[in-house]
Amino acid sequence: MRRIVITGMGAICALGHDAPATWQAMVEGRSGIDTIHHVDATLLRNNPVAAEVTHFDASKYIEEARLPFLDPMSQYALVAANEAITQSGLDVRNGRTAVVTGVGVGGEETREGLYKKLYAEKAGRFHPLGIVRIMSNAPASQISMAHGITGPTFTVASACASSNHAIAQAVLMMRAGIVDAAVVGGTEACLTLGLLRAWEAMRVLSPDTCRPFSVNRRGIVLGEGSALFVLETLESAQARGAIIFAELVGVGMSADAGDIAAPSEIGAAAAISAALQDANMQPTEVDYINAHGTGTAANDCTETRAIHRVFGEHAHKLAISSTKPMHGHALGAAGALELIAVIGALRHGIVPPTLNYLGPDPACDLDYVPLEARRMTVHAAISNSFAFGGLNAVVALRRAP
Amino acid sequence: MSNVQQEIFEIIAKQAKIDIATIKADSTLKDLGVASLDAIEVIFDIEEHFNINLPNEDTDFEAGTVGHLVEAVQRQIAQKANS
Repeated sequence: MRRIVITGMGAICALGHDAPATWQAMVEGRSGIDTIHHVDATLLRNNPVAAEVTHFDASKYIEEARLPFLDPMSQYALVAANEAITQSGLDVRNGRTAVVTGVGVGGEETREGLYKKLYAEKAGRFHPLGIVRIMSNAPASQISMAHGITGPTFTVASACASSNHAIAQAVLMMRAGIVDAAVVGGTEACLTLGLLRAWEAMRVLSPDTCRPFSVNRRGIVLGEGSALFVLETLESAQARGAIIFAELVGVGMSADAGDIAAPSEIGAAAAISAALQDANMQPTEVDYINAHGTGTAANDCTETRAIHRVFGEHAHKLAISSTKPMHGHALGAAGALELIAVIGALRHGIVPPTLNYLGPDPACDLDYVPLEARRMTVHAAISNSFAFGGLNAVVALRRAP
Repeated sequence: MSNVQQEIFEIIAKQAKIDIATIKADSTLKDLGVASLDAIEVIFDIEEHFNINLPNEDTDFEAGTVGHLVEAVQRQIAQKANS
């Protein structure tokens, strides 16, 4: 079977506008959560905080002529893809490279902006570029257009698991020999009044901040951004003398077939087990788990039970952290942003912390690397994503060979 | 039984599809089989019915009882009347 490695990465989120800045913030344990600027805070019921991309001037990264076609979700994706592809140095201008992007909700800033004009302001004209900005496949299409990639190109939508499902698709296409390389990850720009109010209505937005696995955790804080990666075969990377960040060794997916919102430890455990099996990795080999760790009461104890179920005694030896208190919950981009943390842990031997941890909850009884990053050798790691709709996707990685 | 309590019990009974007589002030929504999104929906229906906002603190579905919920609603109604 083909071995697949990561040779390029790019990111933009509340922590910075590139992958090194994002990783640096994760090491320092810096949070990008702050008072929200995207919407009028007085229209929100909850504490108006989010992990927003700030000080971002798209025209510095993208040519002016292209900008009118781009919702922020596509702008972020182009910034991250440019960084990843440039860094990798791989020639992707061909039909043997795929582009797969995970997108949870689509071009919501554009949609809400234009619908407000239509419904509230009764505007007579609808902007002709609405469709091409809003469509969920726009980021994948824009990356393919910007880089001349003519292989299979599409978006995967599975809410908060979109990025990991996208990575799985790319890996499986590469293993099947359909493509030799892939640009893969996720993107989201979901900080709109409509979406914030919709999440508030589900009563999962935290009234203070995001504190995964902690006592008194009260919910999620939304974030936004994008991370993209270049995947190629180990053979190709070694032949080129490329820098190899990590090896992507396994993917696992499952569905709870239960509740549309409440998570299931059985479904989560099934996806983790499937990823380990696919990676031919023993549970005892895993050193680090980048948890889904949303900070909701339900997710964090369910995820903890799932980890117990799969890892048994070894669960207590794992370093587990959720980086969501730093970059927020970026929905469809979550798994991709969190892969930056996993790659950093594998490469640099530093596990990013779980910020805002106040103390143990009896239902969350593992080592969550609270508050400060930890220096430790990480040979193998997994990254969990569990979505509303009961859809689970987990990726497994090893240090670069 | 106060009117507010009666109306809340009716909303819960309708959502949970249970006999209103089975609802006691010390039952939790979970006891009544109203979990997850169903519970969120009950709270939403109550908010709509009384035209109030119930903060998350007043909507503990695990441990909070229906009696607590009635008190929270009465508090919000009183606050609205005073403002």
